Amino acid sequence: MAEAFFNEVAATIGAEWINRSEETLRRYGENTMPGGDRRPLGVVYPGSTAEVQAIVRAANRHGVALYPVSTGNNIGLGSRSAVHAGQVVLDLGRRMNRILEIDETLAFAVVEPGVSYQAMYDELVRRGDKFMVDVTSGPPQGGMLGNALDKGAGYGPYFDHFGFSCGMEVVLGNGEVLRTGDGALQGSELPNWHVSKYSFGPILDGLFAQSNFGIVTRMGIWLLPRPPAVRSFHFTYPDDDDLAEIVDICRALKLSNFVPTLLRVANDVYLCGSEHPSPDYSPGDRAPISEAGRRALREKDGLGAWTVSGAFYGPSMAALEPQIERVRAAFGKSGKATYIPHEEALGFHALQVAINACSGVPGVGELGLLKWRPGGGNLWFLPGTPMVGSIANECQRISRRIYAEHGMDYMIMNVCSARFARGLHVITFDRENPDENARANACYEALARAYAERGIFVGRAPLDYHALHMGQAMPAFRDSCTAIKAALDPAGVIAPGRYGIG
Amino acid sequence: MQTDFTAAQLRDPAIREAADILGTCVHYGFCTNTCPTYVLSRDENESPRGRIDLIREMLESEAPPKAQTVAHLDSCLSCLSCMTTCAAKVDYAHLIDRARVHVERRHRRPLAERALRALLGFVLPRPRLFQVALALGRLGRPIQGLLPSRLRPVLAMIPERTQGRILAPQVFEAEGERRARVALLAGCAQQVLDGNINTATIRLLTRHGCEVVVAAGAGCCGSLTLHMGREEEAMAAAAANVRSWMRERRGEGLDAVIVNASGCGTTVKDYGHLLARTELAGEAREVAGIARDVTEFIAGIGLRPAAPERPRLRVTYHDACSMQHGQRVTRPPRDLLRAAGFEVVDVPEKHFCCGSAGTYNLLQPATAETLGGRKAGHIDSTAPDVVAAGNIGCLTQLRRYVGAPMAHTVELLDWATGGPLPPALAGVALQSRPAPQPEEAPAAAAAPAPNDDAGFW
Repeated sequence: MAEAFFNEVAATIGAEWINRSEETLRRYGENTMPGGDRRPLGVVYPGSTAEVQAIVRAANRHGVALYPVSTGNNIGLGSRSAVHAGQVVLDLGRRMNRILEIDETLAFAVVEPGVSYQAMYDELVRRGDKFMVDVTSGPPQGGMLGNALDKGAGYGPYFDHFGFSCGMEVVLGNGEVLRTGDGALQGSELPNWHVSKYSFGPILDGLFAQSNFGIVTRMGIWLLPRPPAVRSFHFTYPDDDDLAEIVDICRALKLSNFVPTLLRVANDVYLCGSEHPSPDYSPGDRAPISEAGRRALREKDGLGAWTVSGAFYGPSMAALEPQIERVRAAFGKSGKATYIPHEEALGFHALQVAINACSGVPGVGELGLLKWRPGGGNLWFLPGTPMVGSIANECQRISRRIYAEHGMDYMIMNVCSARFARGLHVITFDRENPDENARANACYEALARAYAERGIFVGRAPLDYHALHMGQAMPAFRDSCTAIKAALDPAGVIAPGRYGIG
Repeated sequence: MQTDFTAAQLRDPAIREAADILGTCVHYGFCTNTCPTYVLSRDENESPRGRIDLIREMLESEAPPKAQTVAHLDSCLSCLSCMTTCAAKVDYAHLIDRARVHVERRHRRPLAERALRALLGFVLPRPRLFQVALALGRLGRPIQGLLPSRLRPVLAMIPERTQGRILAPQVFEAEGERRARVALLAGCAQQVLDGNINTATIRLLTRHGCEVVVAAGAGCCGSLTLHMGREEEAMAAAAANVRSWMRERRGEGLDAVIVNASGCGTTVKDYGHLLARTELAGEAREVAGIARDVTEFIAGIGLRPAAPERPRLRVTYHDACSMQHGQRVTRPPRDLLRAAGFEVVDVPEKHFCCGSAGTYNLLQPATAETLGGRKAGHIDSTAPDVVAAGNIGCLTQLRRYVGAPMAHTVELLDWATGGPLPPALAGVALQSRPAPQPEEAPAAAAAPAPNDDAGFW
């Protein structure tokens, strides 16, 4: 069955675009989650939408499950590892990595799945740096399309990467190609495809965010004209419970969009962890970082329990001075915050990460979080909180308790928009230590349960927990997903099990 | 990563160090996306992560290295792009160097390969011998079809013209009041390939109040042989330099050791490690501590204002891997070029190697050519008036592929501060680019404090 599939694919796209070497299968199965690695059956590298169609049709004929990845940098959420061992990884990043178009009048780009933030940034700079792509603070080689489809986010005005995408080309599970939005119009000249989100008929784009109904091979992504000046601001607060005050101020700043960027509210361990490994941890430790350890971290780096960062855009640094003064007045009211100006933050690694993120500059600065503890284990738990200070503090207490119960270090950044903050909880653990590995898994599951009991769902999730989270959804939601899967991918060849579907 | 070294193996401090490095790799795989050979091949064994696994297996084994393993290690550029992107901060540089030493000691290469490596290792670090070899190479070009196939790419790399200038030990006095006394690593191959780089460096430094010493006894930094696994030769070169510069430091004093070839700079800054287990360990650390890329040093003391009559050119700045990944020096060259009045643009995919990588383009010509062409395409896409780089290897490699003139960063800085036109720009029609218009800032307004959610304006 599998051999017949690979033979057909080889005959269609060329045997050189199939890799089944021992090393490749081992590496593509690796991930950072507690559930272990999952070895795929093979890796296929399509070069075009037509080749993706041919592969999907072959998978239908031979009953082979495909697992598409764009650039495979989804560290902490699954890497390139398939849902189940024995699936065939469809690596779109190797050959389908072209920037198909950049429209400098209407400020959008059209990309294939393998286009990374770094590649887009480089191309925009080459064209005179007139536009800014909204970046994550994750790996610069991460894929824009994959991030948008997994509901990833950045920090600028176009932070909502799926929301600021427009117009897709999708290979469905039956091998047919679907164009969404204005692209659905028959014909080849489609000037509104990547600029209009509200075309005739249902908005189908959303079906392909966090789903396994099709393989997106092309997407429009909107770009922001690059402001001449980006001036950041940072305030650090001494106490854990200060989070409530910060969240309430951030809400005010964002509801009117006075601050154009999102506000990054990071705790001490998150910021310090991007700079250096845990000074408190020894292999086998079953306790979280001590209060004394946290104090030492804060004193060493000159930060408090929480630090909030954001930025203004304008024609010059001097022109932004009034906005800086107003935001200082906002955070200065209670007398608890210490202001860190832009110029000072530039020399501070962890805050430089925030400046880059708000400036649309990809960087590796935050990857240091992954070595907070040794052993390569990493999970991201991504619930959120309404932008109400008291609820944010309630969530903080839930998370702190569960992290501590499992001997993990509470490491979080709340990314605050007007009404909602996504809480990027990082669980870094020694995956080579069976006990710690099990505790990391239990920690994640306990967090997932506790937040669900509080009525809070996750926004994204590591692959190991997709089934768990889908199980938390109401039956009608699950049934709808199952029905759509059956309609668009009747043989269930696209990533069965991903997002708990199929 | 778990390792399985025996207690006896771990008594060797070099193996102990390698084992410690191997233990830090957790296979995140960020390195693969920025590794040129992996991106070209998508072969796990052509990635840093794959090579780390191969090195572990090779060092753990008592058997001679497998030919396949050697091939995968040889194809590594040592560009260290992987180290910039690695979240676990694996010290790949020292690991691959250790692996190369192991290969050199335990693996017997085919005769032609051995002969070529021995030739390069012997000739390149000796400027006068290299000068003779270049002349012979040019003479041999018409009959290169008759020469062994491994030699042909070497002949092809020989530039049509070179302006060598081999510096004798001497002191260049500072102009005006002496602000610093520095040693210049005059280098080896660079002096033969492009003597103007040192000349421009000396002019730039003396113009900025530095007394420049070309110290007796200093020569090749050891980088070329180190990356070929010939550790003893590299250590001997490093030791000679340390002794020479420490003599100066103890004598009339030395504020810095200036390096204008970033490949060499990376090695000199790592002398503390290279000579760690020798009697020179302390002095090597001291030398490494005062080693500076020339742009780092000039940025530190401040660039003299640029001469105004020069055209404002667009300079595409190419980051040599040894500069951006090895030394992490990325801002000073750009800041200085901008301060000198140039428009500075970056190269797309700048984290990628140009294929030069020391002797790589001589030993792995096919990959080097692919990477050279790829880099040149990116450089040309920026429509430069001139391309600047801080490493002679990159300049020599890219001059084969890039259409625009190429100069060393110091040649442009020298020109901008009163020196002569860089030779690469002689006869080139130079047109000035428009200068950026500064924005006028509005006056700051009084800042009312925010009241509530709805009214924050």
